[in-house]
Amino acid sequence: MSGQSKKKPFKIEAYKHRVEVDPKYADRTWAVIEHAINEIYNHNASGLSFEELYRNAYNMVLYKFGERQYNGLVSTVTRHLRDMGKAIESAQGSFLDELNRKWSDHTKSMQMIRDVLMYMDRTYIPTNHKTPVYELGLNLWRDHIIHSAKIQTRLVDMLLEQIHRERMGEVINRGLMRSVTKMLTELGSSVYQEVFEKSFLDVSASFYSGESQQYIEVYNCSNYLRMAEKRINEEVERVSHYLDSKTEPKITAVVEKELVETHMHRLVHMENSGLIPMLVSNMYEDLNCMYNLFKRVPSGLNLIKDVMASHLKETGKQLVTDPDRLKDPVDFIQRLLDMREKYNEIITKSFHNDKAFQNALNASFEYFININNRSPEFISLFVDDALRKGVKGASDDDVDQVLDRVLVLFRYLQEKDVFEKYYKQHLAKRLLSAKSVSEEAERGMILKLKTECGYQFTSKLEGMFNDIKTSQDTMLGFYNSPYGNDMADMPAITVQILTTGSWPTQNINTCILPAEIVIVCEKFKAYYLGTHNGRRLTWQTNMGHADLKATFGKGQKHELNVSTYQMCVLMLFNSADRLTYREIEQATDIPGPDLKRCLQSLACVRGKNVLRKEPMSRDISEDDAFLFNDKFTSKLVKVKIGTVVAQKETEPEKMETRQRVEEDRKPQIEAAIVRVMKSRRVLDHNSIVTEVTNQLQARFLPNPVVIKKRIESLIEREFLERDKADRRLYRYMA
Amino acid sequence: MRRSSNRKSSSASAAAGSGSTKAASKEFEKIDHLFNVYADKSSAIIDPEGIEQLCSSLEVDYTDVRILMLAWKMKAQKQGFFTLEEWRTGLKALRADSMSKLKKALPELDKEVSRPTDFLDFYSYAFRYCLTEDKQKCIDIESACQLLSLVLGTQFGPQVDKFTEYLKSQSEYKVMNMDQWMGFYRFCNEIPFPSLENYDSDLAWPLILDNFVEWFRENQK
Repeated sequence: MSGQSKKKPFKIEAYKHRVEVDPKYADRTWAVIEHAINEIYNHNASGLSFEELYRNAYNMVLYKFGERQYNGLVSTVTRHLRDMGKAIESAQGSFLDELNRKWSDHTKSMQMIRDVLMYMDRTYIPTNHKTPVYELGLNLWRDHIIHSAKIQTRLVDMLLEQIHRERMGEVINRGLMRSVTKMLTELGSSVYQEVFEKSFLDVSASFYSGESQQYIEVYNCSNYLRMAEKRINEEVERVSHYLDSKTEPKITAVVEKELVETHMHRLVHMENSGLIPMLVSNMYEDLNCMYNLFKRVPSGLNLIKDVMASHLKETGKQLVTDPDRLKDPVDFIQRLLDMREKYNEIITKSFHNDKAFQNALNASFEYFININNRSPEFISLFVDDALRKGVKGASDDDVDQVLDRVLVLFRYLQEKDVFEKYYKQHLAKRLLSAKSVSEEAERGMILKLKTECGYQFTSKLEGMFNDIKTSQDTMLGFYNSPYGNDMADMPAITVQILTTGSWPTQNINTCILPAEIVIVCEKFKAYYLGTHNGRRLTWQTNMGHADLKATFGKGQKHELNVSTYQMCVLMLFNSADRLTYREIEQATDIPGPDLKRCLQSLACVRGKNVLRKEPMSRDISEDDAFLFNDKFTSKLVKVKIGTVVAQKETEPEKMETRQRVEEDRKPQIEAAIVRVMKSRRVLDHNSIVTEVTNQLQARFLPNPVVIKKRIESLIEREFLERDKADRRLYRYMA
Repeated sequence: MRRSSNRKSSSASAAAGSGSTKAASKEFEKIDHLFNVYADKSSAIIDPEGIEQLCSSLEVDYTDVRILMLAWKMKAQKQGFFTLEEWRTGLKALRADSMSKLKKALPELDKEVSRPTDFLDFYSYAFRYCLTEDKQKCIDIESACQLLSLVLGTQFGPQVDKFTEYLKSQSEYKVMNMDQWMGFYRFCNEIPFPSLENYDSDLAWPLILDNFVEWFRENQK
């Protein structure tokens, strides 16, 4: 380097250290570094100068001795690791501890070494595609320590042993465990998995398999479930404390399979403690535990749902086919309501309102409620009872709630048109005997039905209400008119005028009314037909009632509330003390079954026997005779003997109603067929049946045989024809 | 086979025309003559008595199916009666203008009817022929059974026997309508008997056949 006086451009050059390309330079420099590495491993790093070492390492690379340095690093570290390995192998009680400490040493050392060799790490190593220093350190540890046969086996065994102990209730050193597993993860996730996790999962599987076998023999269902729940929670906690988080789903899957899935059928069907006993006893918490556990395994929830559904169907079926239950319709429905409430509670409280379970509940109810073909009638009777007597002094809201629940049952009915028929009958009786608890409640119920089934369902019912209202106005008009003006000595009459068509069809049975009554009736009739030209009035003597003032033997006066038929019979005794059955029959012209029922209620019921019967048997025979019972007593002044209350139908009545329903269905089916064919023009048989069923299912389930019959009838009447080319098709004839 | 309908209209016009052409009258001369042998003198129609005589001339029984076939050929409207129109139609189609020719034509007629397309027509004609009243749409079961044996007896003997047995044993159906009549023929053709293996009551078979199949299967057990 020499100064220059000539006019050359001024150059600035880097300060060049005097380099001696001394062959021994590399050896000397490497020795320094090697010495340093040894010192580091011997915990003697404090005496070293970082700057000097760094410089040396830097120079090695600079002067192209990188490879020498790198290889030297590998062999030096390996040597130390071998020593460490021996130390670990010979550790007695504190194997894991020793391993962990050595690991700690090694990583710390490697950090320092990396810092020293930083230049090489950044230049020589990437250029020559070598493993970076720290990573190299890890790999060497992995290869020489972990994968060393003696160490690896012992390591895994120790880890698993610790875990087993903890599972059996002992307290272990979790910190140590965490350090060891962390070491494995740091060495690479495949190391963690291959070395530890696989064995861990296998061992856990056998552990829990054994445990489950043991407990399933001894525990009842609730206890077993709680045990399983506890174990799962334990495992989750274990993972969070000292295992890699990726292990969590794997280990929980193992526990779920061994504890829950393998035994789920046995658990559910366990006698005295399984699912069904739990359902029966409303064990909400245990059911919830089962739900949460079974949710974790495939088909677990389906199993619970299916068993619950079949139990429901069984219980329900028993209920609806039990002849004792069928004697009291109101009680019958109440039991169904209670059952539904119960399961609703269970599904809400224990099954998280799971929709699939709700659906299963509904399907089961729909199944068994339709097994008994009197369900529609009974539901109507229940509503009748509620609307007549109220719900034990409950408020309007409560009545509303009860009706809403009944409506849920109504929705399950397949034969809604049968319900409609009965509801109409029962409503008619309620309206005519003025027995409803509140008109608002009645109207409310009709509104609910309207919302459910549409306007058609309820339009006639509303017609009935209108008739009652109109009749009240008509009565006012009558009494104000000349016809009704001078009725001082005559019986007071109230007439309900029913529009035919709105009210349930009845066979017209008129009987012979007492003379005084006839006069009054004629007056009214004259008045009515005077103001309403062209109408026809027919007296429905089977639906009325009367109040009679009766005086008995010792002068006791009572007011008797009776049906029209009963009135006719009793009035006969004004002119005779004793009459035979045949005489009464002839005088009143009341039809046989009605007359028998009427006489039975007048003569055979204690507290209401205003007549005496000869002989004193319970049943009415046509050879009986009846006498006025002047010894009749009652604590009440007003005695109710009327029988116009809605009751469960007798067998023959039921058959008749059913027949009427079948008759009504025929035109509905035909209308549906015509509607379908009109829009589709040509259709095969099966499709017609499906479409028609769809259209009608809101009201009833049509019988495919009946549909076929109706189709044939329509063919005969030339509304439809068979397609000439393909005789499996039907064609609409415009 | 030429359509007799055309012939009928042509013969009708021939008859209606004030001056029937000489050819036409000559054509039917022999046929008419034969007609008059059996026709009732006052009504100018062959009535049941006349048919009986016709049958004995033909050496065929009154209840023989070939008379029915003859009626079919004639497109006779009313059972037991043949009008001149119908007579002409039938005999011209058969190319018969004398008793001997007519006798010979009968076996040919038998063959003709057996052809599937013709048979279908004949089969449905047989039913309609039995509807004696104006608005009648059904024939009573008894007659239906007899007619079935007559018309289908040779071709589908076993089915006919079983079906008539069923019809006589049940009381739900008192009459049979055209739809059921045709349905049975289709049944004979499409359903193997007595296995009934591809019968599906969900298809458009008339209900009476569904019931028959059910009855048959019950009785087999």
